[in-house]
Amino acid sequence: MLDSSALRRLCSARDMLRELHDRPLSIQHVAREASMSPFHFIRQFEAVFGATPHQFRIQARLDRAKRLLALSDYSVTDVCLEVGFSSLGSFSDLFARRVGTSPSGYRRRVRSFVRVPSELPRALAPGCLSLMAAAFSALPTEPSCRYREG
Amino acid sequence: MRIKLTSIMVDDQSKALKFYTEVFGFVKKQDIPVGEYKWLTVVSPGRDDLELSLEPNANPAGKTFQEAIFKQGIPLAAFEVDDLAAEFKRLKGLGVVFTQEPMSAGPVRIAVCADTCGNLIQLYQPPR
Repeated sequence: MLDSSALRRLCSARDMLRELHDRPLSIQHVAREASMSPFHFIRQFEAVFGATPHQFRIQARLDRAKRLLALSDYSVTDVCLEVGFSSLGSFSDLFARRVGTSPSGYRRRVRSFVRVPSELPRALAPGCLSLMAAAFSALPTEPSCRYREG
Repeated sequence: MRIKLTSIMVDDQSKALKFYTEVFGFVKKQDIPVGEYKWLTVVSPGRDDLELSLEPNANPAGKTFQEAIFKQGIPLAAFEVDDLAAEFKRLKGLGVVFTQEPMSAGPVRIAVCADTCGNLIQLYQPPR
């Protein structure tokens, strides 16, 4: 069983993995901060958060890259370096695999949406249950709509 | 008016669908792409009286709330089970992490586990 102290330490480790660091962050260091052995830390982290610390860190970087592409004027190369990747090629490949479009394609798509100044674009901050309206708006309006059919 | 739909925030909808169907045992009901996300819902097996939307937590406000509640050890949803001891054993066998093992709260038995998507879930067995 995971006690409340271990839960909080795992959450702090998650915060640490999400942050940008000047130097590479070793799993040994994060595990030590969480007061766990590296093996136990990786196992517990994955069982609680559904991703290994490495997978989580990569996803956090891609999420940060998406925000920068949508909201900043950084070039794709600058975004790549800013979120901690050293190779533009591997960053672009990974981004395309995970997001389904290249970094520049993602920027074009997000910026094509009508945007209220000072608010996040909808693509970055979906309105939760408003996804329901968007989903069903795209369906044909038949009397026996798909929602009822299930 | 009736309660037919509720929702829970998840950090990854594909991962959530896998966990909520293959581990919790719910059944997929709706899966409609909406841009980068989906309108994604599950229902209990064998009954369709209430849908649970697995909604993305991409909105920073939602993510902040979800992470704070999680860190405090507070469940964000509760699901009823017929036999908590059996579910506890089954889920433990699938690698699910519990923050509260089955315990009695008056006539109700409860336990709390992580859903791997950023939430703690309370499982409860009502009095028979």
